[in-house]
Amino acid sequence: MSLKSTLFLLLFAGTASAVHASEAPTPEGLEYCTVCHGSQLKGNANIKAPRLGGLSKWYIERQLNNFKQGIRGAHTSDVTGSEMQAMTRHLTPSDISAIASWIGKTESPTPEPTIHGDIEAGKNLYQGCAACHGANGAGNQAMGAPRLSGINDWYLLTQINHFRAGIRGSDQKDVYGQQMKAAVSMVQSDPDAINLAAYISQLK
Amino acid sequence: MLNITRRQFLNYVGAAGGSSALLKTSLALGLMPDDSYSGPVHITPAAKGEQPTALILGAGVAGLATALELEKAGIHCTILEASFRPGGRNLTVRNGDKIDEMGNTQICQFDKQDNLYFNCGPARIPGHHRRLLHYCRALNVPLQIKANSSKMAYFHDDNSLDGKPKRIIEYHTDVRGLMSELLWKSADSHNFDQMMSEEDVAKLMKFSQTYGDLTENGKYIGSERAGSTTDRMLEFPTPHAPIELKAMLDSQFWYGGLLGAELYDWCEPLMEPVGGMDGVIKGFLRHLKTQPVLNAQVKKIYNRDNGVEVTYEQGGKLHTVQADYCFNNIPAYFMAGIDNNFSETYQAGLDSVKRGHLFKIAYQMSERFWERDGIYGGISYTTDPINQLWYPSHDIHAQKGILLGAYTWDAKVSGIFEKMTPQERLTAGALSAEKIHPGCSKYIENGISIPWARMNHQMGCGMRMSPEDFDKYYHLLQKPEGRHFMIGDQISHHSGWQEGALASSEQALKQFNQLVSSHTKSGAASHVA
Repeated sequence: MSLKSTLFLLLFAGTASAVHASEAPTPEGLEYCTVCHGSQLKGNANIKAPRLGGLSKWYIERQLNNFKQGIRGAHTSDVTGSEMQAMTRHLTPSDISAIASWIGKTESPTPEPTIHGDIEAGKNLYQGCAACHGANGAGNQAMGAPRLSGINDWYLLTQINHFRAGIRGSDQKDVYGQQMKAAVSMVQSDPDAINLAAYISQLK
Repeated sequence: MLNITRRQFLNYVGAAGGSSALLKTSLALGLMPDDSYSGPVHITPAAKGEQPTALILGAGVAGLATALELEKAGIHCTILEASFRPGGRNLTVRNGDKIDEMGNTQICQFDKQDNLYFNCGPARIPGHHRRLLHYCRALNVPLQIKANSSKMAYFHDDNSLDGKPKRIIEYHTDVRGLMSELLWKSADSHNFDQMMSEEDVAKLMKFSQTYGDLTENGKYIGSERAGSTTDRMLEFPTPHAPIELKAMLDSQFWYGGLLGAELYDWCEPLMEPVGGMDGVIKGFLRHLKTQPVLNAQVKKIYNRDNGVEVTYEQGGKLHTVQADYCFNNIPAYFMAGIDNNFSETYQAGLDSVKRGHLFKIAYQMSERFWERDGIYGGISYTTDPINQLWYPSHDIHAQKGILLGAYTWDAKVSGIFEKMTPQERLTAGALSAEKIHPGCSKYIENGISIPWARMNHQMGCGMRMSPEDFDKYYHLLQKPEGRHFMIGDQISHHSGWQEGALASSEQALKQFNQLVSSHTKSGAASHVA
């Protein structure tokens, strides 16, 4: 990696092109991830592939394993989940670990809001989430709760609604997913879900 | 002169002045369409001492055609292709070829024979796709007739005729007979008496009788036009019992398959390149000065003051290149994942292009069993998810053949196949094919499937915009943003067709000529020849 970084600097030092220091080439073999999740995994709403930067290694590992084992993405209404299942089917544990490490290191701009809700109403709803996910949505590994800040609001909304509909979190082996499915019972309407996602998306 | 018809006049002119006089006169009278296509856009050649450059993103049909025309004008092109192969969705697989499906890499197991190939993307060319046919001629791509319909092929619907397949000729003949009978009855009941003269009503009844092969009393009782239940060489023909009107109305065939060979893009005869559709791609590559850079995935596209800057990744390294202009063939829905400095409106337009879900299966069959059933080319239609079976019309009577075992584009139906493993798809397809050709699975030697919405670097085929988005963004996307042009079938009214891709390229190159001329006028004296 250091050799590559050096080459990289030599190649681009002094050129006018604005290549940020945080940018690194995609590890070979993982280019597939960027086809949908975008350059630097910045996310692409058109493919419904969320930004991944900022997610913790342990959370990514858990989700990749869940996809691989069919714990997540098996519901017939979870189209993108089934797409992810196909992507993880052939991954080894060391592949998963390497991918999770890389994702943790990618940097991309924090997404712009795309949905508009009642932030105050969302804030009230979020009080029920803060115990595990933290007041600022920073996440808490001890509770198994991932970081929520910096995630695309449209993706948050989809997942909240998936938990509500039992599309995600219905598998007995999905321990944390089942907790979430129970927890979202406080989201009682579609506007609730929108307000909550809108609030979370502006957490820093 | 006043007393002769236009047709008589033309015959007269033709006799006196020869065919050239006839042609000119016909054009003047507006009888023949003026030839609207006279070849690719002529690009203004670069001035002496100038070395203009262009970046072409994506080595699909639109990208390659654009590069070819620009190169002719002395513009140096760099073609960046994300995939390991050029061609985009023009993909023909043979023995050993890879289908780079996300999560399900497949290798084609067909025998190593020239006649065993599968056109995964485009597979047929109608005679009015003038742009594509121009390139086939110019690039020396040999063509052959492709039978796109066979009246001997079948229609099948689980919920119609007890699920028994019916020959298309029988269905067509019966539909025509039943409709003609209704027309005859209607005329016989004086329903048209207000509309036309008695004489014309009589003609109409005669027409319906002839058209539908009705009895003297205007009844349809089956027709030997659809064959016979006996050996009609040695015995009097005995027509099949006709389908009942209610059964015909309840069947699904008339929703689509009935018109399969009637629509303009499928009007016969159609053509295909000899040996596979990728003959078109090979033709372009033979004529291009610079070959595409493969495995080069674009990460950033920036319009700069005097050009376009693109960063791509290849072999674990980032590369940044600049050129005077950029022609972008990348599926528009990927652009939100690629860094750029486009305007919000332009990006919104790109985001409005949605993924299409075309899906196909192909089986290698140990025997061409369909030929023994009288089917030489064409398509059988079914209401099962596989939708269509295509029989090859090339290499007739060879031992083996590639049977297209599914062809669907409905997002929901294709979605069923997309979720399956490649093996599951082949099994599901075979179960449906068995309904049309009982026992045919025993001839399956291997198979391969292509879910375009799951293909690496493509993630779709047959892109679409909603009618509202079309109104709002289509013309915007046809125009350059800075020095960046979007091209590809996605920027046409004919997504999923190579002709659409070529039309988009032509359209962009016309705008390119205008842009270059405006740059020339606005200063740069060195451009003036």
